Amino acid sequence: MRAVNPDRVVGVIALVLAVAAPLYVSPYWVGTLLTQMLFLGIVAASLIFLSAYGGMVSLAQVAIYGIAGFVVGNATTNGNTKGLNLGWNPWWGVVAGIAVAVAVGFLFGALASRSVGIYFLMITLTYSVIANLTFGQVTDVSGFGGISGIPAPASVGPVDAHQNRLYYVTLGAALAIYVLLRYVSRTPFGLTLQGVRDDPVRMASLGYNVALHRTAAFAFASFVAAVGGVLFVWWNGHIDPASIDLGATIDVLVIAVVGGLYRLEGAWVGALFFVIVNNYSQQISFIGARFHTLIGAIFLVIVLVSPGGLVGLWERVVAVASGRRRGPPDRNPIEVGQVEPSI
Amino acid sequence: MNALKGKWKLVTLGALVVAAAALATATATARGSASTIKIAVLSDCQGAFGSFDNQDLAGVVTAMSQFAGAKAKNPNKPRDGWTGGSINGHPLKLVGIGCSNDRADTAIKETKRLMEQLGADILIGPLSGDESIAVANYAKQHPTKTFVDGSAGAQDTTLKVRAPNFFRFNGDGAMWNAGLGDLAKNKLHWKTAAVVADDYSFAWTSAAGFIAEFCAVGGNVTKRVFPPLNTTDYSSYAQQMPTNVDGTFVAVGGAGLIPFLKAYEQAHGPIDGKKFIGNLFWGTPGQFQQLSTRVVGAYVGGAGTAGDLATAAAKAYNAEVGKVFKTIPPFGAAAPQASSTFTYGYYVNTWGLLDGLKAVGGDISGGQKKLQAAIKNVKLSTPYGPLHLDKNNQAVINVFYQQLYLKNGKLAVKTVGEIPGVDQTFGGTFSTSTPAPGRTSPKCVKRSLPWIGKTIHPPVTG
Repeated sequence: MRAVNPDRVVGVIALVLAVAAPLYVSPYWVGTLLTQMLFLGIVAASLIFLSAYGGMVSLAQVAIYGIAGFVVGNATTNGNTKGLNLGWNPWWGVVAGIAVAVAVGFLFGALASRSVGIYFLMITLTYSVIANLTFGQVTDVSGFGGISGIPAPASVGPVDAHQNRLYYVTLGAALAIYVLLRYVSRTPFGLTLQGVRDDPVRMASLGYNVALHRTAAFAFASFVAAVGGVLFVWWNGHIDPASIDLGATIDVLVIAVVGGLYRLEGAWVGALFFVIVNNYSQQISFIGARFHTLIGAIFLVIVLVSPGGLVGLWERVVAVASGRRRGPPDRNPIEVGQVEPSI
Repeated sequence: MNALKGKWKLVTLGALVVAAAALATATATARGSASTIKIAVLSDCQGAFGSFDNQDLAGVVTAMSQFAGAKAKNPNKPRDGWTGGSINGHPLKLVGIGCSNDRADTAIKETKRLMEQLGADILIGPLSGDESIAVANYAKQHPTKTFVDGSAGAQDTTLKVRAPNFFRFNGDGAMWNAGLGDLAKNKLHWKTAAVVADDYSFAWTSAAGFIAEFCAVGGNVTKRVFPPLNTTDYSSYAQQMPTNVDGTFVAVGGAGLIPFLKAYEQAHGPIDGKKFIGNLFWGTPGQFQQLSTRVVGAYVGGAGTAGDLATAAAKAYNAEVGKVFKTIPPFGAAAPQASSTFTYGYYVNTWGLLDGLKAVGGDISGGQKKLQAAIKNVKLSTPYGPLHLDKNNQAVINVFYQQLYLKNGKLAVKTVGEIPGVDQTFGGTFSTSTPAPGRTSPKCVKRSLPWIGKTIHPPVTG
């Protein structure tokens, strides 16, 4: 008889719990915490995909998510806010938002595709800063105050009145993204990407266009981040440059590392942890405004104790329980010191 | 037989007594369990305005103490909130104090936590402009809850968003500069002016107040320069400022003001204070002292308050804040901080809310519709003049402007003008259909404003 895979059991339980969430948790949990967890998880998943399968730790994912959000905001609002106020149908806004974000992602990816390690990290950090400052200074499309009153499509919103609808839409999107990322990682494209991650020189000598593969992977991850950005502006109804500033960029990196930077599931585990700590720490008077100090301390502990994040911790527990003495070796989640030959 | 009758009488009497007692108990219970009104406050404890957090709460708690019988929990720390306090037997319970950071995103997140997780019925706040636009949009989606502003001065909050359940008893950034255009044209005899303002919504709004009025009375704004917020080197912007104008209006705020003035001096020589008008940042305590004597004589816009006003109402308000709190950290003694735009903003908005609650006897049933209708009709005699709300739930108020002068060789500020009945529309310059204040709006147009020529010179102390 085949042994039951504990990962699958936990996965099925998590899915059932997520689907039934509106039955047993408060509307605030569903509408605010869990929905936020799901779309932050999507953005973190785009980062984990690049990191785990492409060996690229990107700090530009929040910028891409913001670009999608700002395009949706400009396209779908109708008067009474900053930006272009084009007043389009929200679904056209989604198409435009994702298309622009993927196009910009392709450009970003092409420019960064020949860098590795810390240089890649720095270039993508620059993208994040550029996006933040551009939306802050170009007042035609946003300005410092950002865009308010962004509507969700009629079948999803109004979001505040029908919180469960957006929750299920976000849950569906998160599931679809998870399945898609798992699928892509098994396609020839995904396998080639993993080859590029492990030995770009050998892949190049085998005739693969390494830079193009990296660029395509970046553009694909941009699509994933853009979906997160669209869901974010529907949920929040507002986006401003501070939504994609350095703090937000670091938050998503923290989510990915705390969850586990080498397994996709880590994205949502990390997001759930982050959202809960963020919410409840506000009510502890001596923490209150010091949330980032708290999450920073937790981040340090997790990186030291379990470089594979919470998912890595789980893997160790399973390994010990199944009789293996040691868990799987921890992989270093951010190999920023690695310098590879130029390709 | 008689004995039997007597017995029945006794039973009837007993039953009546029991019934009366039960009724009395029921009434008492009903009164005792009059529904609690759950109130949350949204303040900034981080970001650019984080240091004013306790002033915000001091405003709220002072109003709660003065108008609803509450008590400050800690006379040296307003953020601890209040105890007690009720309207017509309905206890006023503080369910939470939000901690925002002048970012709209954080304000929404905190508003959701306060309203949805902690179950507040009413929100007081937020502090700053962009936060308030986001909160007013949130309010629109939650018509069964009531929101009053804290101290935010964005014009769009009430003029554009127009949430029927969001009320603002303080002025906006443009209103706070009413009187300055009239002053520049008719007293300082400027015919042309240049404007420099930070490139974001509050500074645009602040500059719009000056531009609208200066142009309305026949002046001409020939140049508008907008350095990005948080610029550190203003030399290129100072170079752009024309010298062939009669005066300059400066709405560069916070950390940028002094670097801008220094860059201006380097580009164009010493500043003549009489040729400059500043917005509220010039008169902010802690700020104007650093301007040095170069700006003596300059006029300064206010923020709807006047700390040196010598009227009985203004003195009583200062005393009230001093009675409820000994100190407001981190700035020290409480009473001198009463006229801070933050303390006063939160105070007057809480007062407006409590007046509305009193009018409906604390009844917030029926989706708070009665309460919202009552707040709309609130009229207050504030320390800084009479106040009522317009059709967009925006206060029509008196505003003040100040002048910088030398006192014992040091720069000081005194209130020199009061403009009564300032409304948000500036005689039609701003409306729901006009573009929001920006780099090119409002246009320079001559028109009549209701308050022109009505400036009064209020009594001041010192």
